Amino acid sequence: MAFLTPLALALGALALPILVLYMLKLRRREVEVSSVMLWQRLLRDREANAPWQRLRRNLLLLLQLLLLALLVLALARPFVSVPVVARGAVIVLLDASASMNAADVAPSRFEAARAAVRQLVDNLAADSRMSLIRVAAQPDVLASGLADKDALRAALAAATVTQGPVDWAAAFALASGAVRGARLDQSTIVIVSDGGLPDDLPPLPGEIRYVPIGSSAENLAVAALSLRGTGAGLQLFARVTNAGDTARTVLASITVDGDLLSAQQLDVPAGASADLVLDDLPDVPAAYAVALSVPGGAEGLDALALDDTAWAIYQPPASGRALLVSPGNVFLEQMLTALPGLQPFRLLPGAQPPDEPFDLYILDSLTDTLAVPTAELLVVNPSSGGDLFQVGEVFTNTQLVRVAANDPLAQYLDWSAVRVLQARRVSVPAWARVVVEAEGGPLVFAGETGGRRVAVITFRLQDSDLPLQLAFPILISNLINYLAPAQAFSAPDGLRVGETLLIKPGGGDRAIAIDNPDGVRYQAAATEAGVLFADSDRLGVYTVVSNQSVLGRFAVNLFNSAESAIRPAATIRVGRADVPASLEAEVGQLELWPWIAAAGVGLLLIEWWVYQRGATLPALPGWRGWFRRKKNAA
Amino acid sequence: MLFDETTFRKLDRLALVASQVRAGVLKGERRSTKRGTSIEFADYRDYTRGDDLRRVDWNVFARLERPFIKLLEEEEDLAVHVLVDASRSMACGSGLQHKFDYARRLAAALGYIALAAGDRLTVALLRDAAPAAQFGPTRGRGQAVRLLRFLEAQTPAGATALSEALRAYALAARRPGLVFLISDLFAPDGFEAGLAQLQGRGYEVNLVHVLAPEEVDPPLAGDLRLIDSETGAPQDVTLDGGLRDLYHRRLRAWQDEIETHCLKRRANYVPVTTDLAWDELVLAQLRQRGLIK
Repeated sequence: MAFLTPLALALGALALPILVLYMLKLRRREVEVSSVMLWQRLLRDREANAPWQRLRRNLLLLLQLLLLALLVLALARPFVSVPVVARGAVIVLLDASASMNAADVAPSRFEAARAAVRQLVDNLAADSRMSLIRVAAQPDVLASGLADKDALRAALAAATVTQGPVDWAAAFALASGAVRGARLDQSTIVIVSDGGLPDDLPPLPGEIRYVPIGSSAENLAVAALSLRGTGAGLQLFARVTNAGDTARTVLASITVDGDLLSAQQLDVPAGASADLVLDDLPDVPAAYAVALSVPGGAEGLDALALDDTAWAIYQPPASGRALLVSPGNVFLEQMLTALPGLQPFRLLPGAQPPDEPFDLYILDSLTDTLAVPTAELLVVNPSSGGDLFQVGEVFTNTQLVRVAANDPLAQYLDWSAVRVLQARRVSVPAWARVVVEAEGGPLVFAGETGGRRVAVITFRLQDSDLPLQLAFPILISNLINYLAPAQAFSAPDGLRVGETLLIKPGGGDRAIAIDNPDGVRYQAAATEAGVLFADSDRLGVYTVVSNQSVLGRFAVNLFNSAESAIRPAATIRVGRADVPASLEAEVGQLELWPWIAAAGVGLLLIEWWVYQRGATLPALPGWRGWFRRKKNAA
Repeated sequence: MLFDETTFRKLDRLALVASQVRAGVLKGERRSTKRGTSIEFADYRDYTRGDDLRRVDWNVFARLERPFIKLLEEEEDLAVHVLVDASRSMACGSGLQHKFDYARRLAAALGYIALAAGDRLTVALLRDAAPAAQFGPTRGRGQAVRLLRFLEAQTPAGATALSEALRAYALAARRPGLVFLISDLFAPDGFEAGLAQLQGRGYEVNLVHVLAPEEVDPPLAGDLRLIDSETGAPQDVTLDGGLRDLYHRRLRAWQDEIETHCLKRRANYVPVTTDLAWDELVLAQLRQRGLIK
């Protein structure tokens, strides 16, 4: 045992004042005895060393001196040398990938890894520094070059495990940076992981040590789950893989919106997979889940429970049917055909419209009003506005006055080169906003009235060079997106952990919220460009909500064979070298002061008790008397 | 009451023993070394002038025509002195183990034995440098109740100057005899000088040394200031196991010293702790030691 701050031992000199104070202030209890004659005779020969006699066997004094000794000892920070994995500048890479959730080492691999790192921290030598990097999808530096063990422990305690794959290359880059900050020859990178590192990792500077975590390879996983519309109805496909060493029989339960639909027993050979297909499922939106369990309902299917369940959301494709009523407009027809997610139909003016409703009606240059159902409406070159707006005379002063720059309908719209011969003068109703305005009147306006969206182009396309300009497809696309927005997002096969999803609620700015499977709500104000949702870090079904209504749901699954293969690796490959599991080859320092301090606190309690009880050592059986009794008893 | 009836009856059968019998004024119930006036014949001697004519053996005179005085075994009464230390230090112990109570009870028992045997009893309480109170001299069983009342009225107080008190008593008492000195002997000036005085005056001394159990084994510990109950003198002491052992040794040595001194002076020494039942002391221990028969 040695001391980190041996100078503190000098504080032991404080024992002297304590002794002096004791000698000066010794309270005696007064007791009347019949005679002190015998005592006087008795003490006569002991008087010579009386001051020291007073101090003998005074329990309180003894305890106080002992307490002082403990405090001084703790301040001197004694330590014993213990074998550790690394010392110097230690950079710890703590694997937080999905496979670290495996419970083959109780309570989990991540906790075991945390315990291993905590031991590294505990035994960190005084001259050593430690950096702590959590390897996640975006690796983060929990602690950077700290010697403060408390701070390191706190940082370690705050680390959490993820449910997805991790970015080892980025973590290695961080580690390399940390090594460059320290001296290369004293740097050690400790990788605490269950393996599963990619093979193409770059080499790392400094010494590399690997602390393997985990013991079992047994794991079953739902490796794929998809839903596909066929002519015969909806088809569900699931694949169950067995990453372990033994063939397994597993029960796959398929639920629809939480209700059990089917359960099938699958035999999955070791290292292979088994497929599951369900046909003729109803063609309605629903959330499907496949969960694996042990047939018979027993617990303990495998070590990693994370990948035992997968989810899929079925959303029937949106129709996007549009009816173009036009005497013939090749520009519009071509444009509508080219737009994705839109099924255009054409009708000549005067013809009877089909019975089934359309999502969008486009009325081009109609001379009479068409009775259309209450639906989204795009009117081009109107001769009358019905009860929606008033149409006036034709005007020719179509010099551009203004394009509503901040309007999403005018996004990317460059009107500067557009020439319009003439347009109809339309008084803009109160519900509408002008997108493009000329001197004579509005050229394009749009708005919402009576529960429908209406957009109006007040001129004949053929009376302008707009169809020849780049502005044309942009304007039509903007208008169509406004009038018949596509689905807010598209994720037919769900996401994997960490993938991003673009959500476009459409119809202008709307606040949207995404509830993750844990019930945590992410909120964002969506612009026309949409919201990029990147917090898909939990497995399960996410719900997208806008204006209190559910826009849709999407599933986040692991579906990662590397994470599902939880077999702990004996060696990892870094650069061109294989790194085996590390032995505790270095000498660390295990500090003893916490135990000494704890003993001091205990001693303080004992001292308090003794003080309250007013006991002194002689009140207890004297040692000599005790030994004598022992001897007599023997 | 110090005793009950049963105890009295037990004590009735006892008598104090004095190895060197002293002459009594009245006829007593015990044999004397002196030739005397009882009916038991001892010897003859020539008549000398002044002899009591009533003691001339006229039968012998008729036969030999010479007057002989018939010497008879004289049976004399014994002067019994019970001296009780009544200083403050005797007020030690609790309940039946109270030292002064114990001493009073012992004095009463000895006194009653003496009265019952027809001895001449004097009970005196020693306090400071002189006898503080005295009962008797008196004789006869009828005095027993008075004796008990006298003893019951006493309380321990004052200091001890045992030698002085004994000397004063020895000088004052008219008739030497058997002395029972009941004391804790906690006397700064010792008792040896007083003992010598008594013996010089012809007293036969029995020394009953009474100590309370808490004096033999003090139930004390720690840093203490011991206050002398008589003088109020303080004595600081840190009492621990070692000192306690030392105290035990010191006490034993003290008692041995006293015993040796008494042996040399031909006095009887009876060390007593008050946890010994007093009747056990009187009926058994003192009998074993031959002080009572």
